[in-house]
Amino acid sequence: MTRPPQHNITQLLAKWRDGNQSALDELYPLVYDELHRLARRYMSRERRGHTLQTTALINEAYVRLVDQKNVHWANRSHFFAISAQIMRRILIDHARRHLYAKRGGGAQRVSLEEVAAITPNASRELVRLDEALKSLAEMDPRRSQVVELRYFGGLNNEEIAGVLNISANTVTRDWNMARAWLYQQLSENAAN
Amino acid sequence: MNPERWQQISRIFKSAVSLDPEARNAYVAGQCGSDDSLRAEVEKLIESHQQASEEDFIGGMAAEAAAPLLVVVEDEVGPPQRTLNNGQQFGSYVILDALGAGGMGEVYLARDTRLDRTVALKILPPDITADKRRMQRFRQEAKVASSLNQPNILTVFEFGEVGGLTFLATEFVDGETLRDHLRGKKKLKLVEILDINIQVLAALDAAHEASIVHRDIKPENVMIRRRDHVVKVLDFGLAKVTEKKISKGEEESEAVTAFKTAPGIIMGTINYMSPEQAQAAATDQRTDIWSTGVMLYEMVSGKMPFSGVTTSHTIVQILEKDPSPLTKDVPAELERIVLKAMAKDPDERYQTAKDMLIDLRSLKRKLEVQAEIDRTSSPSTERAAVVGDQPPVVHGNKRGLVIMLVTAMVLVTATIFGINMWRSARERAKVVTPAAPVPATSDERQLTYWITVQKFKGGKPYQNPFPLAGEINFEPTYQIRVNVRSPQAGHLYILSEGPASTQPEFVVLFPSTTANEGSSLLTATQTVQIPEKSWFQFDQQRGTEKLWLVFSADPVPELESVKQYANRQTKGLIPNAAENKSVQNFLTEHSASKPQSEKGESVTILKTPGNLLVYALRLEHH
Repeated sequence: MTRPPQHNITQLLAKWRDGNQSALDELYPLVYDELHRLARRYMSRERRGHTLQTTALINEAYVRLVDQKNVHWANRSHFFAISAQIMRRILIDHARRHLYAKRGGGAQRVSLEEVAAITPNASRELVRLDEALKSLAEMDPRRSQVVELRYFGGLNNEEIAGVLNISANTVTRDWNMARAWLYQQLSENAAN
Repeated sequence: MNPERWQQISRIFKSAVSLDPEARNAYVAGQCGSDDSLRAEVEKLIESHQQASEEDFIGGMAAEAAAPLLVVVEDEVGPPQRTLNNGQQFGSYVILDALGAGGMGEVYLARDTRLDRTVALKILPPDITADKRRMQRFRQEAKVASSLNQPNILTVFEFGEVGGLTFLATEFVDGETLRDHLRGKKKLKLVEILDINIQVLAALDAAHEASIVHRDIKPENVMIRRRDHVVKVLDFGLAKVTEKKISKGEEESEAVTAFKTAPGIIMGTINYMSPEQAQAAATDQRTDIWSTGVMLYEMVSGKMPFSGVTTSHTIVQILEKDPSPLTKDVPAELERIVLKAMAKDPDERYQTAKDMLIDLRSLKRKLEVQAEIDRTSSPSTERAAVVGDQPPVVHGNKRGLVIMLVTAMVLVTATIFGINMWRSARERAKVVTPAAPVPATSDERQLTYWITVQKFKGGKPYQNPFPLAGEINFEPTYQIRVNVRSPQAGHLYILSEGPASTQPEFVVLFPSTTANEGSSLLTATQTVQIPEKSWFQFDQQRGTEKLWLVFSADPVPELESVKQYANRQTKGLIPNAAENKSVQNFLTEHSASKPQSEKGESVTILKTPGNLLVYALRLEHH
């Protein structure tokens, strides 16, 4: 059995935290693979039982990926932040792939698409939410990040407050505003 | 929107949502001053905020909503243990797919080759068939359910045995169990909760009329059909014909009842069990009323009314504890109904399913009327929640009159709608079958097609699916399915071609590993659905999609060689450029002479001389 390259990931995380953006590019595939693998395992185990617990998943990935001895920052907030981002990408990638699977790799869009037997509109909704979230990030990066951490990362308001270094009340207010705006965007799109 | 404007809106919104409605209006008005567009934007956002909270929009987690995608796309872990394989012949059935495995056996999607219909096939594993008691339960389920004929009861077609395996063939319901439905969404709308329970009670009412008691009503035994949200009650496995079967005297039948309902022997879930079941006392139809009450309580509150750390704790609660009161936002009338259904003494409960159904239905109407009034009377003021806690307070005669008129109107509408629902449920099977095939001569090819359209509104199916002769402009939110058949036997191939590009790419849709077992050969009048048991959906990009229909007296080598790609992995996409090209050449060459097309009211008939018909069906969407 191959173990994930713990040391490497820990270093990359540290680099990324220190502002080295290229570390993220290296980090992404490593964490992606691990989260993806865990997600699939969770799903197969829990297909008939409980729903997927995002935080449990990220915690497990964290324990597996990060060399605990060499963790020299006080909290796990960076890991959560990056995990939420990656979780978002994994899910959106899946949703897109699902929508455009027939043409392979999403290189070319097709207009006719078979609807999944399980979730008719989940993929489409998710992709649209992602797009709306990107527009939100342009106007208001922090509120967009609150949604990312909560909806994709599965963090609660206190944890988000810790990651973003703001008060929990601010998180609640940001969430309300962002959610209302996203809801409005999605319902306007649906009406068109 | 520019960031400054956004900041301005966000500042007002932030304070406004923390105020009560009246103060809020005044505050927003004060802050916006004469800037009407700012005010409109803020109000729209507040409205969205309320809607989003009410619907619990993105209240769960993305991974939950998208989790099925993670397994749909890649199925690396492999399928669960199964007795039968896809494509395998099983008696007169052909296995199409595994639907799942439960405590009572494996369930497969299968085609009944005698009657050419899709069924759900439940197979009992051999270790259970060896158990006479469980076998008896299974046999009972088949018999009892078969004797009922009600739209909310799952229809049983056949009970039998093949190669030592005992099976039950039932109607296939394309949908999810109420349990999964409850898991999927954080909060159901009250009207939807009422609607589901009304349908469950309609099923029970019919069963009770026939002296059949279900005895195991729980969300796992209730299916919701995807296309129209019709509810089906399954698993009459514990049902027992209470009177007709008593042949050996009262006493023995009582003993049998007690034995069968003894906890731990048969029942999987005890939370829905009535006090009389928990005590292994005599039970009757009122036990189903109890269980429906528990289910209703759970759906409304998100909690089980009786749930202890162990089975015995739960039973003690069922026998002694009053359920915790429902929250204040639940209408008092609904709480009354729930509590009446869950009266410990069966004599104090609703005595019939119909009585409870009538109360739920009139409550549902009341809520709908109220929602209508809220919607129409004062759009500018604070929207009252649809859930509404009390009947509307009437100030003066004028308002009273309006309410009465709206009530009358909604009642009429509800009645008409109700009739339509029932009628269409009965007629649905017939609806999509076109007129009798026109005889075709041997020196021509004839193919009939029609398109089934499902409209969508606000992300939900809207009205029933309807057939169309084809080739119209589709709304992007519609879902469609193409149906093909011919009075002649022959080889059918269906491929799709994406919107125009330099090099068209083709996707094989029929035959596939699941459709017609990979064979292109169609028998006369056999109907093919593309996609089978599913729908096509358009993406946001406008354009024309070509659906190629090829119907030939002989197999077409160019297409026979690519049908292998219509499987789960490649999803019909032809990966090989040379093969893709050969398909393109074939289609181009043979589509030069277009078939004659007769467009009828709900079907189009294509005819062409010779023994090969090639037709490009254009699906445009905007």
